Amino acid sequence: MVKEFNILITGVGGQGVILMSELLGKAAVTDGLRVRGSEILGMAVRGGSVTSAIRIGDEVYGPLIPTGKCNALVGMEPSEALRNIAYLSKSSRVILNTAVTIPFTVSIGESTYPSLEEMLAKLGKASDMIIQLDAAQLAQEAGNRLTTNIVMLGALFGTGQLPIKIATIKESIQARFPAKVAPVNIKAFDLGYETCQQAVK
Amino acid sequence: MKELTVSSDAPGQRLFVLGNEAIARGAIEAGVQIAAAYPGTPSSEILETLAGVAKELDMYVEWSTNEKVAFEVALAASICGVRAMASMKHVGVNVAHDPLMTASYIGAKGGLVLLSADDPSAWSSQNEQDNRYIAEQGYIPVLEPSSVQEAKEMMADAFKLSEQFGQLFMLRSVTRIGHARSDITLGEISRERRKGQFIKDRTRLVYTPREARINKPLMLERFEKIKKAVNTLPYNQLKLASGAKLGIIACGLSYSYALEAVNWLGIKDKVSILKIGTPHPLPEELVIKLLTSVKEVLVAEELDPFVELHVKAIVGERNMPVKIHGEDLLTRIGELSTRKVTEAIAKLTKTKTPVDFANIDKLEQETAPLLPWRPPALCPGCPHRASHYAVRVASRRVARDYGKEIEPIYPGDIGCYALGYNPPQEASDTIICMGGSFGIASGLARVVDAPIVAHLGDSTFFHAGIPPLVNAVYNKANITMVIMDNSATAMTGFQPHPGTGYTAMGEETVLLKPEEIARACGVKFVEVVDPFNLKEATETIEKAIRFEGPAVVVSRRLCAIIEQREKKKRKEEVIPYRVDQSKCNEKCNACIELLGCPAIIKEGTKTVIDSSLCTGCGVCAQVCPYKAIVLE
Repeated sequence: MVKEFNILITGVGGQGVILMSELLGKAAVTDGLRVRGSEILGMAVRGGSVTSAIRIGDEVYGPLIPTGKCNALVGMEPSEALRNIAYLSKSSRVILNTAVTIPFTVSIGESTYPSLEEMLAKLGKASDMIIQLDAAQLAQEAGNRLTTNIVMLGALFGTGQLPIKIATIKESIQARFPAKVAPVNIKAFDLGYETCQQAVK
Repeated sequence: MKELTVSSDAPGQRLFVLGNEAIARGAIEAGVQIAAAYPGTPSSEILETLAGVAKELDMYVEWSTNEKVAFEVALAASICGVRAMASMKHVGVNVAHDPLMTASYIGAKGGLVLLSADDPSAWSSQNEQDNRYIAEQGYIPVLEPSSVQEAKEMMADAFKLSEQFGQLFMLRSVTRIGHARSDITLGEISRERRKGQFIKDRTRLVYTPREARINKPLMLERFEKIKKAVNTLPYNQLKLASGAKLGIIACGLSYSYALEAVNWLGIKDKVSILKIGTPHPLPEELVIKLLTSVKEVLVAEELDPFVELHVKAIVGERNMPVKIHGEDLLTRIGELSTRKVTEAIAKLTKTKTPVDFANIDKLEQETAPLLPWRPPALCPGCPHRASHYAVRVASRRVARDYGKEIEPIYPGDIGCYALGYNPPQEASDTIICMGGSFGIASGLARVVDAPIVAHLGDSTFFHAGIPPLVNAVYNKANITMVIMDNSATAMTGFQPHPGTGYTAMGEETVLLKPEEIARACGVKFVEVVDPFNLKEATETIEKAIRFEGPAVVVSRRLCAIIEQREKKKRKEEVIPYRVDQSKCNEKCNACIELLGCPAIIKEGTKTVIDSSLCTGCGVCAQVCPYKAIVLE
């Protein structure tokens, strides 16, 4: 029985955050688990911040992850992971894509973008386990840059913490994509998974 | 195996869905025959889901021109004995308010349900109004779900209750229901399809003062019956803990936060909980039972202290020795959370919080200054960016003639183009409500001596832009009205509207043109421009502003997202622009500062175009004073 496992996916509109939570949710239901979650949708397509919560377990009721109660944070973009630092605790796993997306407000001089070191230092104050990977690079290796989100999904499973079976999430990925591109996505998942496993060791 | 969907006739099966899909499923299970809506976050997916299965399930589904019409369409079906619904965002209910208040006098023959999608925290709205007050004003009973599963059950039940009591029901959803995701267990689908029958009944349907006076007491009688019945509805549940000093009254989604809070605090068996699924009318018998068993009560509810005030009235009336808390500890601003409820209960029970929230807050505050500002922006290639640019250049030219200090005023409206209010364009000076730009412009013209150039989108024009346009003509308001026509209700997800030529159910229909409507309304200056031709657009808008009397310019270009999708389908290549570094004056930054396109970025001191984002619209190339932006 799973009591409560909270996953927060953070990123920028267009990075495939919502698709990741749909895949996770469907797989969890297939495995007979209870799932709750929520996201902000309306502005997602226009390059704003996007967060999506997926919560699994019998003692989960609300759609939102309580402050400090996130088990795994998937950061598709470093500053967006940092924006959600309040959800982390020392035992949270942070899986971080180190590729940055700089908002247009930096170009017009309305804000500044921090260095990766600064961001990692802050995240390190909240959580003891930060796994960094260049997901875009791994996606390229898998055969398509657009699979970055699936690489990150693989990395999430690579932490070895998820209550969803790996076979089930792979089935879920297989079913979601047309036969032509499904293998590339499975490869992307595996690359993310292995990279994370290596890092955890 | 056929994949399970919201229309599958598979009782007992589990499906992972968005809350709004669950609400649609509830209506499907109830056998709804007529559904009408106007898009608005967080409600749009309900009607979208129904539209997708309408033909298969023999339903009629429409995107109406606005929420008032949507509600009237549903009301008419109900009058004829057919199950019907209208769904809308919270501020949409304001538009439907007029028929709503009399609909409750009429009562319901066919089950009639109004779905109000409230938006605590105003994630995608201009305010965070609590529509339970509107329901109270109209004696409309409210069901408020605590989970996505319950939202489905309530939606299905609402039709039955509406018929049982002969009254219109409201389902109050909130963002974290409609845009939550959850597994749900499917129920049976009703296949009953009724033939509508209009029975002439002056006393019930023709509202002159006589009928208002006859029907109000009848409505009050219906409401009294509902008031008794809610005490035994399964959506209201009282769990008394023996010896408990604290009671929690948790309404709707707050119940899920309250359950998590008492578990987190480890005091599950030490507090009594009353779950409220009908905030209006309240299950008074259950409330009184709780009040007589505890010393203190915390009322948790989304937004205003609606339940709290009614509970306080019960306490006051009976002079009960129990202290009621609610907004003193939870505030009426923003959405609730497990944390907020946990902190409130911890305070009342003098329990230590399970997490050191102060420490987390400190870290968050330290982090805040590091974070870049990432507001949603107009997409690369969005025609609204070009329209805003043309409006501003033209308006400033005219303003110079008004005097040195005079600045043009830009009343704006609800839709994607509102994103232009951010820097660098700062293209809207007011945004208040649907169609508000034209009405505000008419008022400004009476009191301010400056060019007044209002803008709204095509869908907003059909929704609420025509009456203020007529008003400007009739009252000779000297304003310019720009209709930014991208042939889509883009902000809410590209729903069709009267200017697109097809309906919610995918049928072809007449295509209405805003310029023809403007001419028919008596506007003497009406021109259509392509915003990607900046020179022509700017000159035409300047002429419109200089025109004595109301003038209309339709700035027409298909939404960039739809355009890109169609190009992909046609296998047409997108040719991006690039910056010729030999011509670019790196310090100029005109393209960035005038347009704020996400595809134009600084790499060190260099200005570059991100070829993966550029759609090849060419607007920046027209703005560049050095002719440094060229095709790849």
